[in-house]
Amino acid sequence: MNVRPPHFVAMLPPKTPLCLLVLLSSAVSCLAAPPKHDTYICAAVNKNYVIGSKIVTTSGIHLKDETDAWQHVGINDPSIFAVSFDPRDHDVFYTAALNGALRTLDGGKSWRIMTSWDITEPKDICVDPHDPDTVYLAHPGGVAVSPDRGATWLRNEKGLPDRGKYTQTIEVDRSKKGRVLAGCESSIYLTENGAKSWRRVLETEETVDDIQQSPHDPKIWLAVTQSAGAWITRDSGNTWKNLPDVPSKAALYNVAFDPTDPQRLAIGSYTYGVLTSEDGGDTWTERNAGLHDPHHVWRVGIDPDTGRLYASVYQVALFESEDFGRTWRNVGLEGSAIHSFVFLPQLQK
Amino acid sequence: MRLQFHSILSVAALAVLPASAQPSYEAPHPDISVVQDPATRRAQYLQRVNEVITWRAEIVERGDAEKMDLASVSANLLLGRKIDQCSARVIEMMSEPGSGPFWMLPTVSAAFSGRELLSEEAQASIRNAWRTTYQLRGDTENHFAMYYTMLFLMSELYPNEPGSEWYTGKSSEENLAESKEYLIDWMDLMTTVGQGEFNPTHYIGEYAIPMLYLVSWAEDPEMRIRGKMTLDWLFAGLAANTLNGVLRGPNSRTDDNSVIERWNSLSSFFSWLNFGNCPPTKGFSWGNYYAIVAANYELPEVIYRIATDRDGPFEQRDLKRSRHRWRYSDVGKAPIYKTTYVTDDYAVGSYQGGMADPIQSHVWDVTWAVPDPRGAHPTMFSAHPYSSSKGMQMYFNVRPDTMVKAVAAEGKPSYDEPDKLVACSPYEQVFQNLDTVVALYDIPDGIRFPQINGFFSKDLVNLTEDKSGWIFAQGGDTYLAYYPLADYDWIAHQGYRRLPSTGNGYRYERFDTGSKVLASPHQKNGTILQAAATSEFKDFADFQSAIRALPLSFKLEPTPSVSLRTLRGKKIVCAYGKPPRIDGKPLDYTKWKLFEGPYLNAEKGSRKLTITHGQLKRILDFNALTISDAVMRN
Repeated sequence: MNVRPPHFVAMLPPKTPLCLLVLLSSAVSCLAAPPKHDTYICAAVNKNYVIGSKIVTTSGIHLKDETDAWQHVGINDPSIFAVSFDPRDHDVFYTAALNGALRTLDGGKSWRIMTSWDITEPKDICVDPHDPDTVYLAHPGGVAVSPDRGATWLRNEKGLPDRGKYTQTIEVDRSKKGRVLAGCESSIYLTENGAKSWRRVLETEETVDDIQQSPHDPKIWLAVTQSAGAWITRDSGNTWKNLPDVPSKAALYNVAFDPTDPQRLAIGSYTYGVLTSEDGGDTWTERNAGLHDPHHVWRVGIDPDTGRLYASVYQVALFESEDFGRTWRNVGLEGSAIHSFVFLPQLQK
Repeated sequence: MRLQFHSILSVAALAVLPASAQPSYEAPHPDISVVQDPATRRAQYLQRVNEVITWRAEIVERGDAEKMDLASVSANLLLGRKIDQCSARVIEMMSEPGSGPFWMLPTVSAAFSGRELLSEEAQASIRNAWRTTYQLRGDTENHFAMYYTMLFLMSELYPNEPGSEWYTGKSSEENLAESKEYLIDWMDLMTTVGQGEFNPTHYIGEYAIPMLYLVSWAEDPEMRIRGKMTLDWLFAGLAANTLNGVLRGPNSRTDDNSVIERWNSLSSFFSWLNFGNCPPTKGFSWGNYYAIVAANYELPEVIYRIATDRDGPFEQRDLKRSRHRWRYSDVGKAPIYKTTYVTDDYAVGSYQGGMADPIQSHVWDVTWAVPDPRGAHPTMFSAHPYSSSKGMQMYFNVRPDTMVKAVAAEGKPSYDEPDKLVACSPYEQVFQNLDTVVALYDIPDGIRFPQINGFFSKDLVNLTEDKSGWIFAQGGDTYLAYYPLADYDWIAHQGYRRLPSTGNGYRYERFDTGSKVLASPHQKNGTILQAAATSEFKDFADFQSAIRALPLSFKLEPTPSVSLRTLRGKKIVCAYGKPPRIDGKPLDYTKWKLFEGPYLNAEKGSRKLTITHGQLKRILDFNALTISDAVMRN
């Protein structure tokens, strides 16, 4: 998931004079270049890993360096599915992995498994950018929330069903503290009070695999499912419409917005490969020419600085496209399956 | 220090054991008569323990391996041999640590066996590996049992250390608390709603070894007694589900070989060790890690006698539970109603059908006694070879597209094969009454592999396809009658032989085992099976006549149903989707107890198991953490 810092205006004292705001705003827009991002991935680089076998490759979080090489960060763990950073301090980040939720406070040098035996195999984790001590965790038993940087976890599931709360994905609304969408076994649930209660906002026939918020308009979100199609909301998740041009017989694994172009979207699918839209989701095209055949795409990502489209082909390699999927080139990470791309805005030093 | 007395016994016994080979595996079948004298029984047990330890200690000298593994290291440490070599080997192995419970367990074995023998450097290498190498907890119940037991023991061994000294990032005390809480929760589940990985052919080791390590090495007295009580619980179950040491009936988890060559599983190691009534398996497998401290456990006589000294046929009914279902199910842990009927000649076992585990469950069978089980296929059953991505996703937190293919590379090669025999299915319903089984199948359109596979052993004699529709055969001293409800073809049974790995998962080749499979390609289907002892009839023809005379009617549309008078005079009516009826009364599964039978009894939710045999009684009370023995008056 992509954690963006709150807009600078939100950091100012509440009684800042309007004229000063205007001046500051002008100054920032004149002086500040678009934020640069650090590119992180969570990748398994180990074919046919089974519990007990020796890990002979390096898996887990990787950071792309200046030479476009991938530098491993932290634990060698093929099961890390997601990572989320504290927007105040990027040395503090959290992972969702087989053993539970993990946290580092020193940029990955040391770690602690923050959850206990009763939470296992989470697939997604998300820091609330407006309340960075609060962390949300999606796991097969439901949703867990930590109010204290992972030290303790609450199973705040009021409103979720007893059965059917399997949660694959969780995403915090960057526009409002405590507003979170959770993709579950057959529904999307919304909380607007930091998980004190949840309500169903979309019923689906299958598991919701990914939910993403538009970087251009915080009211627009996309969700993709396991064989129940793709869905869009334009009112912050309250109502959803199916995207009829997206195929729905097979699983859609994730969806990505292009931060450089509000019309460009991409979906990754093991069956369909890469699907792209260049009209805001109305029409979709398979963009697999030049991609490895078979094009079993595990994850797509879009670089917010360049609009470069990435596709991880399952246990084959990472591919990238400079023309939004029309042509592809293999850029390494042979044998990998990338579970998530994270483009982290660099902090001003 | 805990319980090291057995090393003295081990050394004393060495003098009488051969220096090579695996004696009991290669020897004739052991005498299965009951050993009445407790001292003799104990001495024989320790002799078997020592056979394993000695055999493993000499793995390099014998030429079975170039270097010692951690089982061999532990065995040599126990015997006080090759201490310097053990230290060097530990340091070498700790330079490339493994990744989960299957590494943690052997490492704990060496760590505790070598507490006072390994060099400081070797002990430090183990300690360092537990600091620097992140361990994956796994995703199954046996993974968790091993992981948390090993973490518990290592945290006791190195107390008062901060989180920076552990891969978990948690202090010794935090690791201990979490591990203990999990293990108690797991024991609580087992003793209230039933075991999850019940009656496992292999995974019994993954539970028994951790429990014995608690008995042997835990400082916490609560965990020691819990370990001992759980061992008794596991072995009482093993005793009641074996015939001549070979595990019978349904299995939550088994494999392609063990499901037909029933003896060939780790459970036979434990029968051999504890009961002495069957040969051990080749190499002792994970039994090596059990043997290291096996002298610290003394099998209660009451359990020994359940396994070896029976008073005729008995029926045991148990409540178990499915593997946890994350999604696509109204329940997280589905109840499993298990029945086992055992005579001197054969055993019939089943659960009610449905999915206990997504990959490795075996639902029902008739198995018979043979003079020597090695290489024999003494079993008959049918199954729907269900293969489903969604079935996997119910239990595994995975995406839909890769796991069906992946499990074949992970040691379950038959999963997506139409002729597979290790299978449970949501479209199978099974009912058992004593030695009669009715299995009904109603497979919807669009389901992969819409067929039923019936297994017919190479060891059967007088296989006869009777014009009545019954298929008659004899296995050992057991007559068998199998009635397929739909047409079928015969195909050769292709087994799986493991090949050396090329580094990309498991590899197998298939080979003709000599047995065959009744393949019935009909979605509405069923099997009726009736077993009986040959001694009950004048001859085979007499048995056939008796079976033909049984009133039987069935239909397949709209759903399969059977009405049958069994050989035991029971009128049973089974209709797919409805509770079975016995002599007019519907079977009420809600009244099923945790254990109910002549040997094992427990109420659901009780945390208390009563084990009885003749005048002997042992009560395992997990509420009070007490073990009480009694000798009852006649």
